[in-house]
Amino acid sequence: MNLFRSEEHVERWLGGREPGATIPVAKLSELAQAWWDDRVSPEWRPHTREQNQAILDSLGLTGPFWRLPG
Amino acid sequence: MLESDLALRNATYGLFVELGRAPTAAEAAERVGSGADEVVRGWRRLHDAHALVLNPATDELRMANPFSAVPTAYRVQARGRWWYANCAWDAFGVLAALHEDGVIETSCADCGEALRVEVRDERPDDESLLFHCLVPAERWWADIVFT
Repeated sequence: MNLFRSEEHVERWLGGREPGATIPVAKLSELAQAWWDDRVSPEWRPHTREQNQAILDSLGLTGPFWRLPG
Repeated sequence: MLESDLALRNATYGLFVELGRAPTAAEAAERVGSGADEVVRGWRRLHDAHALVLNPATDELRMANPFSAVPTAYRVQARGRWWYANCAWDAFGVLAALHEDGVIETSCADCGEALRVEVRDERPDDESLLFHCLVPAERWWADIVFT
């Protein structure tokens, strides 16, 4: 789960491996906010799979790559 | 998850933020009023529940996601100190969890050029950068250190 300067750098880093998913860093920041926002709250409780999947879905991160294990 | 394990998990995270580093089992034991052996047993259950990650060789904390207990390529400046994150997602996660603006320092995984991202009001100042996730969500926890 790395940062890259551009798509060209992603492709070179992959070196022929099957790519995963690439998203803009602004979308990553949105994802991080939704995913980690409550993580140090003293009232934190575990997210359910459905809650986490809903976060991904709400950001348009859909399809088989972003499907959490059932 | 047992309520006592949940309390241990939340105390562990609270200590991580207070100390700016991973607490030891003895420090967590003092916080929750139990013994260090009991804390390690609880941490192992939390590890199995993916609520934190232990170093299996030492039973010390390896990750309290998004925080890393060991130095990594993702450094985050917030609240007047530096934190380590486990990956790019977690670097933004440290700021999200702390509810702080801050600075992320890392490098392009391809060319090694230094990258510095300032985050203000949840927005990165350089929106040209890209995040690549190699491992599908279904397998994130199969090897979380690799992921």
